[in-house]
Amino acid sequence: MTSIATPSGRVDRVAVFGASVAVLACLLMPFAVFRANRIVAGTSHGVLAAGLSGWLLLAASACALAAAIVPGRVARGWLLPTASAAATLALAWALGGAALTLRAGQPDASRVSIGAGAWLAAAGIAVVWFAARGYPEGVAARRIAIIVAAAGALGAALVGGLGHLSIVTEYGMRADSFWSAVGTHLALAGGSLALAVVIGVPLGILSLRVRWLRAATLGVVGVIETVPSLALLGLLVVPLAALGLPGIGPLPAVIALTLYALLPIVRNTYVGLSEVDPAVVDAGRGMGMSGRQLLLRVEAPLALPLVLEGVRSAAVLVIGIAAVVAFIGVGTLGVLVFEGWGQQTDDLILLGAIPMVVLAVAADAGLRAVSRAMTSPGIR
Amino acid sequence: MRRRGAAIGVVAAAVALYAYVVARQDWWAAALARLFPSLPEAVFPSATVADLVLQHLQIVLISSALTILVGLPLGIWVTRPSGRDFRALVATAVDFGQTFPPVAVLALVMPLLGFGLWPAIVALSLYGLFPVVSNTVAGLEAVSPAVLDAARGMGMGRWRILATVELPLAARVIMAGIRTSVIINIGTATVAAAVGAGGLGSPIYSGISLQNGAWVLEGAAAAALLAVLADAVLAQVERAVSPLS
Amino acid sequence: MIRLENVTKRYDGTTAVDGLTLEVAAGEVCVLIGASGCGKTTTLRMINRLIEPTSGTILVDERDVMDRSPEELRRSMGYVIQSVGLFPHITVADNILTVPKLLGWDRERMDIRARDLLQLVGLDPGEYGGKYPRQLSGGEAQRVGVARALAADPPVLLMDEPFGAVDPLTRERLQAEFARIQRELRKTVVFVTHDVDEAIRLADRIAVMRDGRLQQYDTPERILDHPANTFVHDFMGSDRALKRLGRVQVDSVMRTDVPVAADGRSPDAIARAAACSESRFVYLVDPQRRLEGWFDCRALELEGSAETAITNVDWREVSVHPDASLKEALSRMLGLGFRSISVVDETGVLLGVVGLDDIEETMTDSDAYIAPASAGVNETGEAEA
Repeated sequence: MTSIATPSGRVDRVAVFGASVAVLACLLMPFAVFRANRIVAGTSHGVLAAGLSGWLLLAASACALAAAIVPGRVARGWLLPTASAAATLALAWALGGAALTLRAGQPDASRVSIGAGAWLAAAGIAVVWFAARGYPEGVAARRIAIIVAAAGALGAALVGGLGHLSIVTEYGMRADSFWSAVGTHLALAGGSLALAVVIGVPLGILSLRVRWLRAATLGVVGVIETVPSLALLGLLVVPLAALGLPGIGPLPAVIALTLYALLPIVRNTYVGLSEVDPAVVDAGRGMGMSGRQLLLRVEAPLALPLVLEGVRSAAVLVIGIAAVVAFIGVGTLGVLVFEGWGQQTDDLILLGAIPMVVLAVAADAGLRAVSRAMTSPGIR
Repeated sequence: MRRRGAAIGVVAAAVALYAYVVARQDWWAAALARLFPSLPEAVFPSATVADLVLQHLQIVLISSALTILVGLPLGIWVTRPSGRDFRALVATAVDFGQTFPPVAVLALVMPLLGFGLWPAIVALSLYGLFPVVSNTVAGLEAVSPAVLDAARGMGMGRWRILATVELPLAARVIMAGIRTSVIINIGTATVAAAVGAGGLGSPIYSGISLQNGAWVLEGAAAAALLAVLADAVLAQVERAVSPLS
Repeated sequence: MIRLENVTKRYDGTTAVDGLTLEVAAGEVCVLIGASGCGKTTTLRMINRLIEPTSGTILVDERDVMDRSPEELRRSMGYVIQSVGLFPHITVADNILTVPKLLGWDRERMDIRARDLLQLVGLDPGEYGGKYPRQLSGGEAQRVGVARALAADPPVLLMDEPFGAVDPLTRERLQAEFARIQRELRKTVVFVTHDVDEAIRLADRIAVMRDGRLQQYDTPERILDHPANTFVHDFMGSDRALKRLGRVQVDSVMRTDVPVAADGRSPDAIARAAACSESRFVYLVDPQRRLEGWFDCRALELEGSAETAITNVDWREVSVHPDASLKEALSRMLGLGFRSISVVDETGVLLGVVGLDDIEETMTDSDAYIAPASAGVNETGEAEA
């Protein structure tokens, strides 16, 4: 976990940066894009098309800018979260408002999508939130701000018109296939990860005892790691066909994902075990622990943090590659992206890409938390 | 030292061999025809293997160059007093970005920039930033404070210290980051063929959609070998750049 | 209790231990000492079969160590190493209870044992039980290491330079603690060190080793007085006589019939006390016999006035404890410029006096050159056929 640096100097430059990006994005770039239907080109609209919330968004961003310059840590500690919450709220309602306003009186086929300016403004506001974390004085303000922002965003989703954004419409059109894609993506990634753990951890343990095995395993798996996933899938076609097995579909997908997940797991298991202090091992043996007891009670708990880190890397990796296997006929989220590319429909692309990112980030954060929880306080 | 020389020799020979084989389109045609006798067109017609490899390299090299041009200075800046305020933000952003599936990065750039070669290059450059910045920061921060103290004590100026002390000591870690970035780029560039960027992904895609296993194998084999070779070459560069050979 | 019979360990061409024969009686501390590479650690690790001997027999409690499974053997012995090797991922208490857990003790018995052991090694159970090894100082960690070794109450303790990794002050304290614990528990201990002073301080018997061979195996006094060969002579150091003094306690040579007078009586009264005819100093004490100063008879003779003959002191600054070594007493005397020094207990009560002449009496001819004809070992340390 990287620590937040306490801002130096009179001005919180990170917050200034974030707030400026938000303001400029709103002023200079398209906030929402209106299209008469799914495939024609769209017309851009500025933030003020959203009406009141648009103004509020600009105001809140300007406030954040001011808050970044105001002297006094306590003042900033309170103002920054407040401005961030206001801006987040405003952004959500502005998007919804824009969707409602622009579609008012238009046929059902019309679409309003999120413009580049809105994305950039969101990024800028996120940076301001990040900057606010550097003020321990404002911890209470931050907690309140988060609740308010969340509530506001929820409100915008329910009644503020966020549901009228094109991406939501796109989702509505294919909810079933969407969830099926999510499920397949998770199942594939999760299953391959589990398989890689079951094969990789014992391999890592064995590599410690058997020298040639370590060089062979790490070497082979290392080479596979560099091969592009699409190429590996392509290369699997021939041997699978020779064995009479299907060259496309779930089988090569699982094989490929498991192979990719193996390297971080095997390598980290090996390194984790080899980094256990030899004095500790000697003491354990000298006290009468058998090889198995030593492994289970001493070496494994000490190597665990590194092993879990390997699992975490592998998890992020396979979630990414699971997108690519959509090419060989496996229905993961990649299917949505590729279809979107084919149809040149941005919303479909986003409908596939955003959940992918969410899954990867969630898996990463989740496994970090698991790792922290499972690591003894003695070795944190 | 002699083992190093031998290793470099082997890698150089492998690269030369690869280049030669790639140029021999006739060999590819013959081999694929032998493996897939039932297919009328065993070799990808739209471009020769050599063209595809060059297209692929073009994408990778340009995006890697852009990544280094932006990433290295960014990583350096964030470890300087003037940029220290942004270090936490950059580190968190990089951690966050590295969890992104490569396909997602390609996908997210499309709505903004459209399809084709240059949007793909932008996406690859962006995604390649993460390991380069991350490793530049890590490498520079790993330089022993005692060494920096000694350098300052000798009267060296900040820029001189950076150029003659910090960067050389961090070089290996930075190079490792560049290596990771390039290898990932080679992989993502294969997928980028789907958005019109060309490269070795094209025969793979076409092969899958037209059920032509030979094309798939053509693209896959060339791409896999390219990646493995590039990794070997960069590994040698990494070792060469290490100050304590 | 522990018997090594002609034990040899050979590695690919080098002989680490060569025909070692020695016996450690139950309740004794045997210190293996020698330069680096002399085979002392190898010997220690052969006793619990962390290293298997090439030839020879090792018997613990009359049973050949090869007849037992290595794990079962090791669980019956305590093992303490220099770098301690505490398990970083579990608490101090859990570290201590490692072997009891392996042996399947029940929870209640283990909790009591952990508490008792922490107290034994001088650490407060409430404070230290729940700590993790990384929160401990070097000295504390090593105390926990000793507690861990004693947990299952093994009759034998194997210690490999256990106090080597801490600063000299802590080492001093740990050695004192160990001596105290050993007096209480009387374990059979095999202790490896390269520090001669440590060996002399802690050992019942010392085994001096060189290049894998036993040079001399005897009590510290006899090794200091009669080194078997040049090597032992040199190894024990050129200050052997002083080291020898380190083995004798003050209370075993002090004179207890010390002339005292109650402080506060007039100096003339004291002078008239026949005391001055027997010794130079009359010690002045309070009603509880606590030392308050002394009266120098000779000063009275020379100067005539009684006032100049009296010196009032703080007993803490000019005396030694009864369990201090003669070496310490001598050092204090030299530092203070005295020819004798008073011996007091913790409250300052005068117990006796020890002087340079008392020390001289305990001296033997320990600094004489070696007597090669002893112990069957010749000058260069080779065993005679």
